[in-house]
Amino acid sequence: MARAKAEQPPVATGTTLLVMVGLGVAFLLFMAFLNVVKSGNLLSESNLLYAALIFYAGAGTLYLGFGVTGTPSYVRFASLATWAGLLANTGAVAHRWYEAGHPPFASIYEMLLSFVWTLAVLTLIAEKKYGVKVIGTVTMPVAILGVVLMQLLRTDVRPLVPALQSTWLHVHVTLAMLAYAACALSFALAMMFLVQDKVKTETFLAATSLFTIGTYIGVLTRFEKWGGLNVIAWNPQERSEVFLSKGVRLFVVIPDLGWLMLVVLAAVTAPFVLYLISRKTGNPGLLDMANRSVFVSILLQIMALAVFLLRARDGQYASLDAEGLYPTSLPASPFILAGLVGGIFVSLLYLLLLWRRSEIERMLPSAEELDLITYRTIAIAFPLLTLMIAAGAYWANRTWGSYWSWDPKETWAAITWLVYAGYLHMRVTRGWRGRRAAYFAILGFAVVMFTFFGVTYLLPGLHAYA
Amino acid sequence: MGASTKNLIRRVWQTLGSIKTGVLLLIITVIISAAGTIILQRPATDPDEIQRAYSPQILRLLDAVGLTDVFHAWWFVLLLALVSLSIIAASIQRFPQAWRFYSRPYKSPDETFRKALPVQAQIAVPDEETGLAAADAAFHKAGFKPERIVRESSFSLFGERNRISEMAVYIVHASLLLIFLGGIVDAVYGWRGFIALTRGEQSTQLQQTAKNRTLPFAIRCDGAGQENYADGTPKRWWSKLAVIEDGREVMRKEIVVNDPLVYRGIRFYQASYGQTGKIDKLVLTATPANGLGQAQEFAIGEGETQSLDPDTTIRLAEFFPDYVLRDGQVYRRSNDLENPAVHFVVESKRTGKAVNVWLPPIPGFEQNAQSPYQIEGKDVQMAYYTGLEVSHEPGQWAVWGGVVLMGFGLAFVFYVVHTRVWAVPVVDPDGRVTLWIGGTANRNKDAFQRRFRDVVQEIEKGLKQQSETYVSTRAASLVTE
Repeated sequence: MARAKAEQPPVATGTTLLVMVGLGVAFLLFMAFLNVVKSGNLLSESNLLYAALIFYAGAGTLYLGFGVTGTPSYVRFASLATWAGLLANTGAVAHRWYEAGHPPFASIYEMLLSFVWTLAVLTLIAEKKYGVKVIGTVTMPVAILGVVLMQLLRTDVRPLVPALQSTWLHVHVTLAMLAYAACALSFALAMMFLVQDKVKTETFLAATSLFTIGTYIGVLTRFEKWGGLNVIAWNPQERSEVFLSKGVRLFVVIPDLGWLMLVVLAAVTAPFVLYLISRKTGNPGLLDMANRSVFVSILLQIMALAVFLLRARDGQYASLDAEGLYPTSLPASPFILAGLVGGIFVSLLYLLLLWRRSEIERMLPSAEELDLITYRTIAIAFPLLTLMIAAGAYWANRTWGSYWSWDPKETWAAITWLVYAGYLHMRVTRGWRGRRAAYFAILGFAVVMFTFFGVTYLLPGLHAYA
Repeated sequence: MGASTKNLIRRVWQTLGSIKTGVLLLIITVIISAAGTIILQRPATDPDEIQRAYSPQILRLLDAVGLTDVFHAWWFVLLLALVSLSIIAASIQRFPQAWRFYSRPYKSPDETFRKALPVQAQIAVPDEETGLAAADAAFHKAGFKPERIVRESSFSLFGERNRISEMAVYIVHASLLLIFLGGIVDAVYGWRGFIALTRGEQSTQLQQTAKNRTLPFAIRCDGAGQENYADGTPKRWWSKLAVIEDGREVMRKEIVVNDPLVYRGIRFYQASYGQTGKIDKLVLTATPANGLGQAQEFAIGEGETQSLDPDTTIRLAEFFPDYVLRDGQVYRRSNDLENPAVHFVVESKRTGKAVNVWLPPIPGFEQNAQSPYQIEGKDVQMAYYTGLEVSHEPGQWAVWGGVVLMGFGLAFVFYVVHTRVWAVPVVDPDGRVTLWIGGTANRNKDAFQRRFRDVVQEIEKGLKQQSETYVSTRAASLVTE
């Protein structure tokens, strides 16, 4: 829904968008209300989350509209919508907290709930305090993605196993959420800096292409099997993954999806190859073709996502490791899902930049200012990261009797810390400003993302709870 | 010769302290740590799983280089030591200059400095004293405590805030070294072990460690248990522990998962809880087989003997929580209470005859019919063990101290700014007096610029108020000139 709207803003102008978004939000709220009247429970968590989703989607669209057209009234309504979404989100968090009896950090669902909340708060702070009005263009789609992901995850309150009953754990996770949200913000700011620093649009083409290429290569190397896609089987009754034995998941093969992914990989590689050739030959016509092929690749990516969604939701598939047919489900493949949606989102952002660059530049603060705010955001994120690691170590010491055991999540948290420490040293002692510092900030966030998602889904370790 | 060695050492020292070396070492550390999370590590994974994941040749290669246990390999420790050395060298090399800056603040700026300073302002003043007085008041108001500097018949003002901020980086570096030190101390002198205890049992011996280790005191378990949620998942494990030293009980504590017992720097953590397969208490009824007399109920533990009447005793000889009959033998299949069997011996003192009683009666073993008492099981309570993780980390206080210090250090690095202001009256060749005002901040310069502008405005305001009275008294003389 959000994506469909996101494509429209370039066409819509003036008040059209405002009216459209208003009508959309009103319509969805009305539909939700009809549903509520039927079920009778107005302030349930899922209703609150749904309301948050609607408002965030409205805010995201308006922020995008502001980013593109620069109409100041959009941003006012966008912040209003963000406030409304935040209110609903706060309600959902409070509801969850009350019902579970502990702060909502115990499962990945609860952490996403808190993460989205933090992101919305930081967006409003960045907008009101620092005047970075377009920040919502990047953060709101992330928030929307978070809420959508939450709908797919297991939501029932599960009792806390003894190791998780610790105040220190809550301190640890709260700090982690705050630190990661600050890192996300610094990443968005660094990207905006690069736009303001007159980095060529085709360089962004190369970067976004490399991201999508990397995603598809990652998905294919890890999940492709004989032209099919090897995904984890799902038990719909238990709402959990199917395990062959302790720690060994059962994989089922969705046939032919591997080939489709391979075709999409070729499609997302095309713009990058064309870009490389045009750089070598200096032929601007090829660049034009590259941009057009980005458009084609987005269509193919959307198709791949749609086919993946349809096939993963229904149907029973055979497994290479066990007899019989098993269903799978979207929550069983969060990495693939996040990768596919992320690829589309990044490509769309590129198109936005391609078509509306001068307007975006006018909207953004100056390069120097963005550089400074990026640094300040990292100056907030870094102490938070430090304290987060310390609180985690202290908790581990109280629970297992050792404060550091080189488990992958720990190690990657330390790597994240080192990367940002490197950024600060280069900036302070070497006077790195501007572009180099921005690249460093982007690298830092990439490592954060790997620590958050990659380690959980791609590497084995102790942090199995998250 | 001596000189060239000295030269070499100095050059190594210089290289070690350079930012390039530091960054290079950090990059290597990052790459190797990342490799250690991607390659399966020996201590954390099942040996079979590693065998399955890698081909024998590759595994042999990885083992030889130490990549299957990166974080305990000698070269990784060496790398961390080099990182520490690099931090020490960098800090020592840069410290003297920073210390000079810190200990001998630059109070009266000379002309070159005044020209070069980016943040400055000039205000025309009637005379030196009035100007300095106005600056003094404005500096005070802005939170600087200005001092008057006297130099060869000239006066100036100097004020500063948060000079400690110049030292903050060294605080952070020192804290990092403190954390490393704690880690090294723990790696060398620390140890871990495991003790399993049942209720009433006490032990000084650690199990499951490479070296057998005996504690200088005994630990006794006075009870342990598990509480469950309604859905059966465990909610809480607890153990009541007592420390016994020189035969005396010196400490008592109930530990739970996140709350260990600490005695003389040795920590006991609740790690696991389970069945030992042994019996704690078995409740039985014994009815005389001849039908004369009352049934009696009693409890018995493993290996215990009880009297049934003055002549007859019963002994609990063997207990199988989960028995299986194979090749004419009774075997224990598991420690779980699945398929229990109990072996009693009922003995008569007078005749000296012993009868084997089995519950359930296992053919070929049981002589139940010959027993003077009919034995029936009423209730069984299994003995549970509590698994205690034991660890001794003498360096952890350095680690926590380092963490706290780092928190402070980072707060100073990022949020405490050293700001300085000067006010110097300058007389030009024509005899006109201007007040030169300058300021610097070591961080967050643009915010300081705004504050500096406020201070300058404050001085101008102060001068104006003063000059109103001053002008009215001096006006006449100025007119006559």
